[in-house]
Amino acid sequence: MRFILRQAALTLASFVFLYVLIGALSFLVFPDPSHGGPRDFQAAGRSLFMTVPKYVFLGRSVLDTQESKVLIVGASNTAVGFIQKVIQPKLACANVSNLAMGGANISEVAQIIDLVHETQTTPNRAPNTFVIGVWYGMFADSDIRFVDPDRNRGESDLDIEKYRYGFYRRSASGPVAVLPSKWLDAGVMALRPLLLVEKVAREARAGINLLLTGRVSAQRTEAEREVAVMSDQEKKKALDYWRENMGKDGISVAQFDLLKTTVASLLDSGERVVLVDLPIPAWHRDASPFQADYEQRFQALTQQFKVNPNFVAMSMADLDGDLDYSDEVHAKRHLANIWSNRLADVLSSFTCQEHRSKSRVSSSAPE
Amino acid sequence: MSLTSPLFFAFLAGVVLAFNASQSVTYRRLVLGLANAIFIASYLTDYTQILPLLGFLLLGYVCVSILSVWKSSLVLGLGIVGVLVSYVFLKRFSFFEDLGHLPFPYLTIGLSYILFRILHMMIDAQSGDLDERVGPFAFFRYTCNFLCFVSGPIQRYQDFRAADGTAVVKLDADSVFLAFSRVIAGYAKFVIIAAVAEYGFSFLKPQLLQAGELSFAKLCVLYGAAASLYAVYLYYNFSGYMDIVIGSGVLLGQQLPENFDKPFSARSFLEFWQRWHMTLSQWFKFYLFNPLVMLLMSWFPAPALNAYLGVFAFFVTFLVMGIWHGTTAVFVVYGLLMGAGASINKLWQVACTERLGKKRYRTLTETPSYIYFARGVTISYFVLALTCLWLPELSDFTHLLIRLGPGGISVAFVGIAAAFGLFWFVADYIAPRLTAPALLTTVRDSLIGRNLTLASQMMAIVAVATLLHKSPDFVYKAF
Repeated sequence: MRFILRQAALTLASFVFLYVLIGALSFLVFPDPSHGGPRDFQAAGRSLFMTVPKYVFLGRSVLDTQESKVLIVGASNTAVGFIQKVIQPKLACANVSNLAMGGANISEVAQIIDLVHETQTTPNRAPNTFVIGVWYGMFADSDIRFVDPDRNRGESDLDIEKYRYGFYRRSASGPVAVLPSKWLDAGVMALRPLLLVEKVAREARAGINLLLTGRVSAQRTEAEREVAVMSDQEKKKALDYWRENMGKDGISVAQFDLLKTTVASLLDSGERVVLVDLPIPAWHRDASPFQADYEQRFQALTQQFKVNPNFVAMSMADLDGDLDYSDEVHAKRHLANIWSNRLADVLSSFTCQEHRSKSRVSSSAPE
Repeated sequence: MSLTSPLFFAFLAGVVLAFNASQSVTYRRLVLGLANAIFIASYLTDYTQILPLLGFLLLGYVCVSILSVWKSSLVLGLGIVGVLVSYVFLKRFSFFEDLGHLPFPYLTIGLSYILFRILHMMIDAQSGDLDERVGPFAFFRYTCNFLCFVSGPIQRYQDFRAADGTAVVKLDADSVFLAFSRVIAGYAKFVIIAAVAEYGFSFLKPQLLQAGELSFAKLCVLYGAAASLYAVYLYYNFSGYMDIVIGSGVLLGQQLPENFDKPFSARSFLEFWQRWHMTLSQWFKFYLFNPLVMLLMSWFPAPALNAYLGVFAFFVTFLVMGIWHGTTAVFVVYGLLMGAGASINKLWQVACTERLGKKRYRTLTETPSYIYFARGVTISYFVLALTCLWLPELSDFTHLLIRLGPGGISVAFVGIAAAFGLFWFVADYIAPRLTAPALLTTVRDSLIGRNLTLASQMMAIVAVATLLHKSPDFVYKAF
């Protein structure tokens, strides 16, 4: 017995030593950023968190502040099109964070909003302005959208992050929190050694890719995207892809209902919502069998909320030039600048205007 | 209870501590019995799910008990038929659907391996090799040993009995360290190598099965890569599991039999099966091949026929062993492929020996070119035959075969054989030239060094497990 106990103690002590050592190393390589203020979640690749879903899930506690916050959510075209570094300088009144995730549907957008709320105290929610970027491709049910062999059917990227480190557990009704949100930062601290090892593994894979293919990843660079022109064959392939990925029923009514509920819930709690109808290139818009249905439902939804002063619907339908997009949905950098500036203008008059008037009221109030 | 779950770690730690808390044999048997019951109960959500297994165990126990007092061949025959029919009924073999099935869900995990243990006890009891009465608790501890419950190794009762509650492995600092190392190495195989191979396989398989558009070359490459990755996954998943089980067994005083001995270094199909799932091969050798050869030799006593009777016996043995792996029609194909592999291999040996003579044939088999060629061909044949395990539905299996055609299968076969042959050539050339510096060896073998090595393996296991996020399952659980 004593040999077993001795060996167990030695193994455990060695593991703890190694774990603490790697944890300490992680602080040297990736110092903990300041808590609060704007954060570019799209720059996850340069952080210890590596991917946007992981960064949002593990790094969201920075959003629990009293300041005005602009929180951009949506899918990859929102991530690419609304550039935090372009929008932030134009919005002195608020901290801008882009939490959009590649492949997101409305369910995953609602999950992002729930996760942000989970980490915020009630008073810190009020200064939230959620910018929700949508297009027809996001209105597919999770069982259709998230089906790759690497995951359990219907589990989003955020679900995977929830289960990955045991912060949540699976149940018949979906993820159930194991770690209370107030312990999130402590949990992340405890995970740092694992995150660093994972980061090293990813960097090693990128190095191997570079060695074998001359590229770090298969993703195109900004420069390559800027000069990309889609061929007719690529356009056909893209249309086929979306036809397959939207499922046989097309636009999901359930996803539209969820968007409606999400927006209503945000407005009810006093938060502001900017709902952006994201443009797609004209060839795609005209050829897609889903666009007309989507537009009709989108109009109906915005009609419902337009009387609410905390709601703004934004359209950029004029920005549909085929050559301004690197593929069937993603804006090239020059167009992304225009998208970002337009959003900044809307936010400036919507969020900052109110902020200014509140400041005026506050400063003129009798003491 | 999944092997990778925290619950299993807690359970295993609890059993090891409880077992070693006292030297009393009665106490230790009680601990092992309870551990088996708790382990099996962890798979249940309702008590009715255990009833068929209990019925199967009861049938087995009655047969063994009768045979230990009444050593009748007729009783043995009837008993074997009864046990086999019950097994086939409970396992719901698709080609015996007419037998019907129980109208409620029940536990089938472990059933296959319990079958082997029960048949072995029945045959040995009848032949006199098992010369003692087996009590019901000893029967339960043996047939349902939680370490071997899911997928073996298949231990003989006589060996189990020698260690039942009496630690045959004497524990000291080195043996305990080696046991810990083996368990952790098993997890490393299971969670890192097997899981990464499965990740690659599950990425390639849908591409391979998708309809249309793949060029012939791409189809062959995809098939070869997917089949090879599955073989790597299967081996590391299964042998990792065995390392965990055998290492844990040492801490419980048990010396469980080995199940793998570098199978991919085998130079022939028959040698391969002496190195792969060894306890299963040995079971079939003792209880099917040997009796069958004896029977055939009694029917056809001419010495000139002996070698060919062996060929036939190999075919039958491997056919049955292959069919045992699954419950669908594709596993009959797998059995036929295994049978063909074994019998062709035996025929080749017979033909070469007749043509070249024993000495020249042995000399030929020791030439490097023959060795790498034979290894490549052996592994390639096995890797392609494993397709039956990852495409268990006949429609999927035949659809892929039709798309590949004889040309595609041949190209994949040659490609895999060349890749593995080349791998072994390079490995044999490089391995002897790799020696660690003396200082490094000293540091590595020191108390701190070797424990830090264990800790770093554990760190890698945890990191990969979180990176791949889907906890790996034990593949042989399904067989």
